[in-house]
Amino acid sequence: MTSLTFTLKQNPAFIVNCGALTPDKLIGKTHKDILQITLNNNIKVIDLFEVSGIDNQHIIFKNSHSKLDYIGYQMLNGSIEIEGDCGDFLGANMRGGTIVCQGNAGDRVGDQMRRGLILIDSNAGDYVASRMLAGTIGVHGKLGKHGGFGMKRGTLLLSQPPNLHATIQDCGTHNLPFLKLLFNAFKLFNSKFSSLDSTRVRRYCGDIACNGNGEILVLEQ
Amino acid sequence: MRLMQINGITIDDTFAEAFNMRGTRVIITALNLKWAYHAANAMTGFATSVIGCGVEAGIERELTADETPDGRPGVSVLLFAMGSKVLMQQLETRMGQCILTCPTAAAFAGIVSEDMINLGAHLRYFGDGFQTSKLINGTRYWRIPVMDGEFLVQEATGMVRAIGGGNFLILAISQAAALNAAETAIEAMKKLPNVIMPFPGGVVRSGSKVGSKYPKMFASTNDAFCPTLKGLVQTELSDDIESVMEIVIDGLTFDDIAKAMKVGIEAICALGENSGVKRISAGNYGGKLGPHHFKLHQIFGEILK
Repeated sequence: MTSLTFTLKQNPAFIVNCGALTPDKLIGKTHKDILQITLNNNIKVIDLFEVSGIDNQHIIFKNSHSKLDYIGYQMLNGSIEIEGDCGDFLGANMRGGTIVCQGNAGDRVGDQMRRGLILIDSNAGDYVASRMLAGTIGVHGKLGKHGGFGMKRGTLLLSQPPNLHATIQDCGTHNLPFLKLLFNAFKLFNSKFSSLDSTRVRRYCGDIACNGNGEILVLEQ
Repeated sequence: MRLMQINGITIDDTFAEAFNMRGTRVIITALNLKWAYHAANAMTGFATSVIGCGVEAGIERELTADETPDGRPGVSVLLFAMGSKVLMQQLETRMGQCILTCPTAAAFAGIVSEDMINLGAHLRYFGDGFQTSKLINGTRYWRIPVMDGEFLVQEATGMVRAIGGGNFLILAISQAAALNAAETAIEAMKKLPNVIMPFPGGVVRSGSKVGSKYPKMFASTNDAFCPTLKGLVQTELSDDIESVMEIVIDGLTFDDIAKAMKVGIEAICALGENSGVKRISAGNYGGKLGPHHFKLHQIFGEILK
C-alpha cells in the first residue's frame, strides 16, 4: 500500500494548522473525506494539498514548509514523514507513533508530548521538548533556545551541544545501554539517526524545576 | 517384553513420566560472556528440583552478540515451576538478587506469549524514583540507575506451558563408568535448544520414589535402583550393576524433551558396551501421576524400523 501523501501545491502565505492530519484521525476516511477536512479559517485540505496514496497509517508531507504547524498533534499511532521543513508545535501532545522530519522544525517541538518518537534531521527552534511528559525527540542539527524547558520526563537526543538554561544539570558522560536498543529501532527510519552506533553520551537532567526526571543526551563526537 | 539393544547396551521397555509445568526464558547479557555467565550461574543456582528450590532452572545456551537485543554477548536461561505463581515469585527474587546485583548485566524477554509475567516491572522501584522507562517498538524497558552505570531490564517476559521430569537412567558396572556416560550424554544434550538438565552438572544420583516410611516425607530414595540394597529389596538391578545415575530434562514441549532423551541415550550407546554401561532405563511412578509418558522404545522407533 502506498503511503497517504499530502503534497503542498504552493507555499502558503499564512500559518496552516495540520493537527487534523494524523493516522489515528484519518482512520476509515476516504480520499474524498480527507480532501474536505477543514484545517483553519475555512481552508480545506483540497485548497492546499494534492492528496495521493491510500495507507492512512503512514502519512507523508511533500514540499513541506515552515508554515505547516501542529503536524502530528495528539497523534496516537502510525507514522508521519515530512519531506522538507515544518512549523511550530511538531508532535505537540503526541501520544504514540513516529514522526520523521527531514528538514527544519519550528518552535515547541514535542510540547506536552507523552509517548512516541520524533526525529528531526536538521535544526529545531526554541523550546524543544517543552513540558514534555515522556517519549523521545532527536534533533540532528542545531537547537534554539530553552530546550527542555519545563520537561518532566522523556529523552531529548542531540548531536550538537545546546545552550541550556540553569535548571538543566550536567550529569557527566556515560555509555547508556538502552541507546543500543533505541538506535536499532531507528534503523527502520529514513533519517540521519538511522546510522547512529556509539552509545556514549553526555547526560543532562532536567528540568529540575519539574523534578528533573527528563534527560538531554548529547552524542559524543 | 521386547528386547532392544543398541551397540550392546540394553534399552528397557519402560517410560519416563513427566509433569506439566510453567516455563519462561530470560536472556541475560553482559559486557562479556564471563560476566553473563556469572549472572546466569547465580540466577540458576540452587534450582535443581522444584521439591526444595521452587524452580528448576538452567542455562540453555550461549548467545553471540548479534543474537541479543543489546548487541552484547549473553546466555539464555530457562526456568520451570509447577505453577505460575511460584514461577513469578522465583523469577522476581532471582532477578533482584542475581541480575540486578551483577556488574554490567542486563535482562530481556526470551520468549513471547499471551501470558506475560514481570521481569523488571517491580525491580524498577529499586531506582527510588530515579528509574525511567522507555517504550521502544512497543516493548517497555526500565532503566535503573545503579553504581556501575545503568541497569537495563525489559518489563516483562513470556510464560508458557512446559513439561518437566523427562528422564533416563544409566546403569553401569561402576560409578566411574556411569559418570563418564552421563557426562558424555550431557555434552551432547547441551547443544539442543528448549531444554535444560537442572541437576548438578546435569546429572542426579538420588533418584526418588513417591512416599516414605516416614509419614512427613513425600519422596524418598529409589531403593529398587540402589546398588547397595540389591539383596535387601525388590531390586531392578542385575548382579553386574554397581552404579546408577539419572539425567532429568525439563523442556518447552514434549518433542523437545523426547529429542533430548534420544540424543543423550544415543551418545551413551555410541560409547559401546565396553564403556561399562549395561542398560538404559527410565523413572516413572506407574504412569498415574504424570500425564506425559516418554516411552524409550518409541523414542527409538525410527531405529527399530
